[in-house]
Amino acid sequence: MIVKKYFSTFLAGTLLATGFVSVAQAGKSDDTLNVAIDRELESIDNYYNTAREGIVISRMVWDGLLYRDPKTNEYLPNLATSFKWVDSKTIEFDLRKGVKFHNGEKFDADDVVFTLNYLADPANGAKPARNVNWWKNAEKLGEYKVQLNLKKEFPAALEFLSGPIVMYPNDYYSKAGPEGMALKPVGTGPYQVTSVEPGKRYKFKKYDGYHAGSPKGSASIGNIVFRTIAESNTQLAELFSGGIDWIWKVKPDQAKRIAAQGAFTTKNSSTMRIGYLNFDAMGRHSKNPMNDVRVRRAIAHAIDREGIVKALVQGESMVVNSLCFPSQFGCAQDIKSYDYNPEKAKKLLAEAGYPNGFETPFLAYRNRDFAEAMINNLNAVGITTKFEYLKYAAFRDKVQDGGAPFNFGTWGSYSINDVSAITSHFQSGGKDDYSKDPEVIKQLGIGDTSVDPAVRKAAYKAALSRISEEVFMFPLWSYNTWYAFSKDVDFNPTPDEIPRFFTAKWL
Amino acid sequence: MSEIDSEVLESQTKSSAFRRRILGHQGVMIGAAIVLAAVLIALSAPFIAPHDPYYQDLLNRLVPPVWDSRGSWEHILGTDHLGRDYLSRLIYGARISLLIGVGAALISGLIGTVLGVAAGYFGGRVDMVVTFMITVRLSMPVVLVALAVVAIVGGSLQVVIMVLGFLLWDRFAVVMRSSTLQIRSMDYVAAAQAVGCSTTRILTTEIMPNVVNNLIVIATLEIAHAIILEAALSFLGLGVQPPLPSWGLMVSEGKDMMLFEPWLITIPGVALFLLVLAINLLGDGARDITAPENRN
Repeated sequence: MIVKKYFSTFLAGTLLATGFVSVAQAGKSDDTLNVAIDRELESIDNYYNTAREGIVISRMVWDGLLYRDPKTNEYLPNLATSFKWVDSKTIEFDLRKGVKFHNGEKFDADDVVFTLNYLADPANGAKPARNVNWWKNAEKLGEYKVQLNLKKEFPAALEFLSGPIVMYPNDYYSKAGPEGMALKPVGTGPYQVTSVEPGKRYKFKKYDGYHAGSPKGSASIGNIVFRTIAESNTQLAELFSGGIDWIWKVKPDQAKRIAAQGAFTTKNSSTMRIGYLNFDAMGRHSKNPMNDVRVRRAIAHAIDREGIVKALVQGESMVVNSLCFPSQFGCAQDIKSYDYNPEKAKKLLAEAGYPNGFETPFLAYRNRDFAEAMINNLNAVGITTKFEYLKYAAFRDKVQDGGAPFNFGTWGSYSINDVSAITSHFQSGGKDDYSKDPEVIKQLGIGDTSVDPAVRKAAYKAALSRISEEVFMFPLWSYNTWYAFSKDVDFNPTPDEIPRFFTAKWL
Repeated sequence: MSEIDSEVLESQTKSSAFRRRILGHQGVMIGAAIVLAAVLIALSAPFIAPHDPYYQDLLNRLVPPVWDSRGSWEHILGTDHLGRDYLSRLIYGARISLLIGVGAALISGLIGTVLGVAAGYFGGRVDMVVTFMITVRLSMPVVLVALAVVAIVGGSLQVVIMVLGFLLWDRFAVVMRSSTLQIRSMDYVAAAQAVGCSTTRILTTEIMPNVVNNLIVIATLEIAHAIILEAALSFLGLGVQPPLPSWGLMVSEGKDMMLFEPWLITIPGVALFLLVLAINLLGDGARDITAPENRN
């Protein structure tokens, strides 16, 4: 008997470990969605963490004054019921009545004024600084009325107020502070946090008192558990054995195989992240071939972007021709593009005085396979590379210190749907700018500070056209994210790479 | 029988006994066969590799090996995530592994032998300094230091060889020091000193020939050690840089597909295992054969 019992336990264990049996450890039966994330979060206080998973949690636990509909990109009222621009530097908000925080605290103008003034004080060190450094202060005009005073014209204000800027309870936060908030977060969002094991596990429960007027809608799934599993193969093994219901950032080849098995749902969504090549056009690093526009154009013609997207990047990714993601405000599409044409590339190189090509350093920090595919393309037209694959921090420092004549990078725009979050970051004369072209800097300056959409569009188009014409940077392709989850779950990804679990349902 | 004849006979018996010991030692024979095969493959890589190991065919990615139903004889061991022929990369990878193993062992052997022999022969302060250096070196975790150096300087074939060479000399130094200490007190060394031989001459003609056996054993162990370390560094992305076909890099690149295409990591893994096992067998055998007291 005992032998038999042990044998069956062993058999069950083996089957479980090999993934043949999907055990309902959790999931639909106990109304708990188990989510795997690949990193340890430093803090889940929205203003003291910059991880993508932190943003995901922020949308679940807290609300902003506004909310951007991920489908229509329209700014909808959330904790504010309406807003109006008093002048180009002042916005007035009417606040929603009857909203309560998870701890029972009432939401009113004091919370908004407290939160916005707390963030505006640089001494508090909220991060990333670019999210919170554009307003002067907030003033209370009534119990449910506030006014936000900007430092200068800031057209992307609504974008920030509908995303990263969420409202904190003034009484609780002034007592608990960032440490207290990180361990016992309190917000008005559709989910409340029930348990925090830092770096390991976060448990969320549907907030039954969620305000009915929210454009986010009430949550449907009762419980959500975030668990850190760093290694992607372990995540997959857990998915197969039923310990995890939902994973993301699945590699394209893995996603293809999971889809072929048919036991799980896989979905793909394009993201705002784009890849780019950055050239030392102005000779900031040294006198090198990249200083010549003909060489830069040759490289643009040498890279088989279509081929790489089709074979390696896959999913909903596409080739991009402007230095921005097409959905971003101001991302003009009718500008010069470069087709894959190795012959033309060779001709341009010969014109530039390099008929036999040259050797150049080439830096990258992610997607080694994409980089290798591009190296292959470059070799085909005679350019050989000294490839340096670095960790992100080392890559960023080297690039920003002027140490990289030619590099392959990517930029996610912090999911801000505005050209100022990418083109202006790279081409406004800052640390990442290797062309420092006065005309581009001037046009981006106009775009970044005007509140007239038509003026902004025209200025950004002028800048993007010049960048493309001179190939100061060469945009490659957009990125995508693969999601794989249990067939019991109805989940739809969004292009801003922020999974909204409050819209997910059991099937 | 004259005296000379008996000497010749004795040396003949000695060498035939030595040969018998080699041939009778299974470990040595297996190890030697595999290492020889690896060296031949590495040397003749351009002639025997069926494809260019760098040629990418993005339309033919992740083709499985020939024994899989989806495989074909065009790519006997399949293709990797960029459509490069796996067999060709494996063959060229043998070059990288052996080059790094031998290169690192040469550098570390040179450093270790010079220090060890100097410490053993001169003793006193020299010995004190060398022993201190060995202690310092032993207190540094090799992988961690290698990772740090490569992360700062950037990884490349030369850097990896240099870093490993400068990190793996301790065993050479320890063994050379103790063997030299032993030999130094022999009468023939004293005799050489008495007839006025120079230090260089004593070291090269009296000491070195008698410690070289140990040197060979340590060298083989360190070659294997360096090969494993290179694979580990490349696996972590800090070893040789792509597109060079290193076995460690191949394992690293196949890791993502481990659950679906296990051959991607098994093939370079087995190659690595066999080569390191063979070198170790050879080293152990060399010790057994050359040091009669340890023979078992």
